[in-house]
Order: sequence, then structure tokens, then C-alpha cells
Amino acid sequence: MRKIRKEKKSCSGCRLLRVLCKLFAFLAAVYGILFTVFFFDLDGKLLFYVVEPFLVKHYDKMERRNPLDMPYDIKK
Amino acid sequence: MKMPEIKLPKPSAITAKLKEAAKLFPDPRDVKLPKNGEELKKAAHDFWYGKPHEERRLGDLYVDKTGLYKHREWRGVKDTFYYFHMIWLYNYANMVADIMKFGGLGIFAKGLWRYRWMGQTYLPVLHWFDRGLEGMRGEALRASAWHYRAMVCVSINQFMNMFKADAKLHNGAHNEAWKHSMAHKETVWGGVFYPWSDQYTNIPMEMIPYFVTCHVNNHTVLNYIDAVQSLGLPGDPCPMCQAEAGLFVLDDMPDYAPFVVTTNEACDGSVASTAIQDWFLNIPLFALPQPMQFDDPLVQEHCANEIRELWKFIEEQTGAPFNWEQLKKKLEAQNELQRFEWEKWDVAAKTSSYPINGVAQALYRIYQTQYGDHYIWHDTDRRVKKILYKCVEKKIDTFPKTRHRVIAWSCAPLYYSHWCTWAYNCWGLNTIINMDSLMFDMEVRTDTLDNCVMDMARYHEWAPMRRMAVGGLHHIFELWDYMERFNCDMVMMYDQLQCKGMQGVVGLFEDEFRKRNIHAIWMPHALPDKRTVSRSEIRRIINDYMSTVMKEEPLDPTLLEFDDDMSW
Ligand code: SF4
Repeated sequence: MRKIRKEKKSCSGCRLLRVLCKLFAFLAAVYGILFTVFFFDLDGKLLFYVVEPFLVKHYDKMERRNPLDMPYDIKK
Repeated sequence: MKMPEIKLPKPSAITAKLKEAAKLFPDPRDVKLPKNGEELKKAAHDFWYGKPHEERRLGDLYVDKTGLYKHREWRGVKDTFYYFHMIWLYNYANMVADIMKFGGLGIFAKGLWRYRWMGQTYLPVLHWFDRGLEGMRGEALRASAWHYRAMVCVSINQFMNMFKADAKLHNGAHNEAWKHSMAHKETVWGGVFYPWSDQYTNIPMEMIPYFVTCHVNNHTVLNYIDAVQSLGLPGDPCPMCQAEAGLFVLDDMPDYAPFVVTTNEACDGSVASTAIQDWFLNIPLFALPQPMQFDDPLVQEHCANEIRELWKFIEEQTGAPFNWEQLKKKLEAQNELQRFEWEKWDVAAKTSSYPINGVAQALYRIYQTQYGDHYIWHDTDRRVKKILYKCVEKKIDTFPKTRHRVIAWSCAPLYYSHWCTWAYNCWGLNTIINMDSLMFDMEVRTDTLDNCVMDMARYHEWAPMRRMAVGGLHHIFELWDYMERFNCDMVMMYDQLQCKGMQGVVGLFEDEFRKRNIHAIWMPHALPDKRTVSRSEIRRIINDYMSTVMKEEPLDPTLLEFDDDMSW
């Protein structure tokens, strides 16, 4: 009995360790990815080649009020 | 059934694309492996501490034309990871936190989708840091970056306040935020609204949609300049005023306040843009005229009365009474910022331990003094104070490659405000101070209301460009005193080609420079419009002067010539 309990105990310890290892590996991977993005200026490249052209296209074709339709009224 | 034909790109086209993409990254063939123990030791030293200034070859890092980096600079372990953690990650995270704090992601997304100046400009903000902080190390990197962080925070605060109140983003509804906002031209000092600052928010109209955009992404503003010219305006008036008016022509100004305060600051160009703004805004307007020649004491009295009239107008519009206690509180907070600025100037003038680079000094100071008091300025000053004191106590030489101490004078090129970072890296030209920093050189008295208003009038008259650029010859000639006070041996003389006021004094300056035997480089530009004089043209002019007149060699020859025409 005692033996079994001991085994169970070490198992939960192992599980915790495994979870911690996985968490550490996950955080390390996230950190590594972020550092890669930073170091190779991937944020800049994405914004320059993808995001900005996409947004510019959107702003270019946006419908706008023509302000010249407004009367110029100096009496107000 | 016939299968649809799928057109596969030709292998040669794929190869060409891959080759193009490869140019965005460092070429592995350029990596030189150490051949002997000596070289290995040197490589390890460079890895740990970063390369010495002369070996950095910063120009090799750029992707041609774009100003992007094949890879960001390796500054040694300590500074690279400082940059990664405390600048890049910290600022991205804090930008999100600020957006949440000042209104939330929903309204931010709506604003981004609606306004070009928002979406096109503020997403690549970290590149603005990169450009300004290139080559910086140690305490100079840290202190300068905190200035950038403060400007980002205030910018987010302002555009989120605009969006929260903007009727265009709320189906035309005028909500409580709209009713509690006050709009004004960016050249009206935010301090005149302090008496209502506990209940109302003042938001300059053009500071975020125009002024800050030029520094962060200089593509955006060109749309607004072209828009106003499409109505028939000739190309030669001041492009700042053109762009400010163009925002309205393109219907890109949020409808965020029930009334507006305008001014003739800095010059009659502002009056002209106000005429267009008045037309398109169509809301009650108060014009706050400020005298150009402001030394006459009678004019001073008149100017103070104009401010009192403005306060009456705000009372009428808001129904909220003038609050003297609130005004005092805010002015005293602002005076505290001014006192620290004087400490900074002292260190800049008398030591080589000043840890703030030319662009951070200039932008932070003009932003802070023009916008007015904000909690982030105090936070930043506290952090910078620690760094400043450390530099002085330990006698740290913050810009060790300084060959010349430069004062920058007149109206600066907004699309190339970071020229001073380049000039230090390339030539050892260290910009100690600039004209815009020196304008509001005063505290405002808060003992009596009369004294206070007189000082506020003076402060307003000392606004950007007004005090020196159009405030009279002896003010623009304050340069000679400041040169001496800041121990500078060279002048970077900005030459705003479309500023009629400053164009009028070019010859007088040239005579003085010759008479006083001062090395001065004329830097032509057109304020926000990079198409008139490009950044590379500006660099060429400085290069020519440094090599032909000064007969000096560049510290980093890779920075002499490179193409960044398409860059932000
Ligand atoms: S740059 Fe010159 S023309 Fe333009 S606003 Fe300033 S003072 Fe006026």
C-alpha cells in the first residue's frame, strides 16, 4: 500500500514538473519568436509591405463628403 | 466535367520573387567566421559589448529604398536586450495598455478604419523609435527612449479622446464626451484651457492628424497637401498650413467638439488655414490673435485681454465657470516641468554627460510645452532625472564620438527630425539644443490672476516659430547668445524654403556667420513635405560641408550615401 501511495506521489510531482517544463518550453518559444520578429524587423516588413498598402487602398477608395458643397457663410 | 485551369507561376518568376525577398534579410555569405584566436576574441568582445563606433557599418543594415532593416542593430548583449525588452516589447505592450485605458479597442479600431492619418501613421510607430535611436548606447539610449514613450502615450491619449467624442464614429450623435471637449488649433497653447481641465478635455485639431504624423510616417501628410492644392491653392505657401487645411478638404477631421479656438500663431499662414477650417467646421469659433512684434508692453496688455476674452467665450459655450484654483494647480505642475528642463539645459550646456539625443530633446520639449501639462511628462521626467543624475555623478561621456557641438536653429524639417541621430553616427555632430526647445523659457506666476494672465500672454507669444522665426530680428539673432551658453561650435541652420519670414533673413544670417567666423550648414527643406528636398539630399549637403569645408573623415562611411526615399 505504502509503495503504491509513494508511486502516486512521485507521479503527481512528475506531472507538475512536466507541466512546468512544457510551460517553460512554450514561454521560451514565444520569447524566441518575439526576438526573431524584433531582430529581423519582421514587424516593420509586415507593416511596410502588407498592412500599409492594404490600408492605403482602403482610404483611397473611401467615400468622402465633398466639403465644397458646403456654402461659405460668413454671417453666422 | 472540365477541371478549372490553374495557372501556376513559372519557376523563373518564383525564383525572382524569392531573390527579391532574400534582399530583405542579411546575406549569410556576408558573415565572416573568425580565422584565428585573435579574431575569435574580437568577435566575442563585439558580441558582448557591441562593435566600436567606427566599425558598426550601420548603412549596411538598411533594405534599399525602404529604410527597413535587414536586421535590427546588434548593440552588445546588454543594450540589445534593453532595446528588445524595455523599448520594443515595453512600448508595444504599453501602446495596447494605453488604448485600453483611454477608451478601448472597439473605438480604436473604428478610428483606425475611418481616418487615414491614424491607420497609415501610428501602426509603424516602433520604426520611429528605431530611426531616432539608431547607434545609441547606454544611458543615452535609455533616456532618449523614455522621451519617445511619453510622446506615444500623449498621442494615444489625444486620438482616443477624439474618437470617443467623434460624432462621425457615433452615427452623428453628440455624446457626453463631445459636449465635454474643446477643439483648438495646435498652435494655441493648451495652457489657456487649464481652468476647465477638471471637467473638459482640450484637444488640438492638428497635433495628431498632422504634426506627429510627419515624424512617424511622412507619407501620410502628402495626401493632405495635395488635397488642398487640388482646390487651386498654389504650391508655394507654407506646407504646414496647407496640410492642416488639407485635413478638412479630405473630410479627415473628427467632429469632436461643439466649438473651436483658433489663432494667428505662428504666422499669417495659420490665419489662412483657419479660414478654410472655419468654413468646413461650421461651429462657433473664437479667434485668439497674438501680436507678432510682442516686445511692446502695451501689446502685452492687449494680449492678456484677448486671453480673458477667450475665457468668457468658453464660459458662454460650456456654461462652466472659470476655475482659478484649477488653473493655478495646472500651472504649478507645468512650472515643475520647466524647472527640470532648466536642470537639463544646465547639464547639456556645461558637461558632456547629457544623455538625451538631439531628436528626443527637440520633439519632447516642443510637444510638452505646446500641449501643456500631462501626467506622463512628470513620470518621464522622474525617470530621466535618475539617469541624468547618474550620468553627472559618474561623469559618463554619453556621446563619446562628439566632434562638434551643434545648435540647430529656425524651423526644423518634420520629415527628417532624426537627421541629428544620423549626423552623430556618421560625422560626430552632436546636436546639443535647438531653437524650438528654447522658446518657452519661463515660469508662469500664480500669485495673482493679473500676474498670471500677463505671463500666460507672454508664454503664448513665445510659441513655436512665433518667438524667434517671426518675432523680430533680435529674437532670431538670440542664436549667438544661446550658442555661447550651450558651448556650441557649429550651427545647423534650417532653411524652410516656403517660410516667407525666414527666407527674408537668410542674407543677414550669412553676413553674421561670416563676420563671427561661425561654421554653419544651411539645411534646405519644406517642413512636412519630403518631395521638395529629400532626406538624402539633406545628407549630401551635410556630407559636402563636412568633407570640403571641415576636411573631416566620416566615422561610419556606410552612412554617407544610401537611398531611403520610400521610408516612413
Ligand atoms: S514655417 Fe514659417 S510660414 Fe510656416 S507656420 Fe512657421 S513661421 Fe509660418
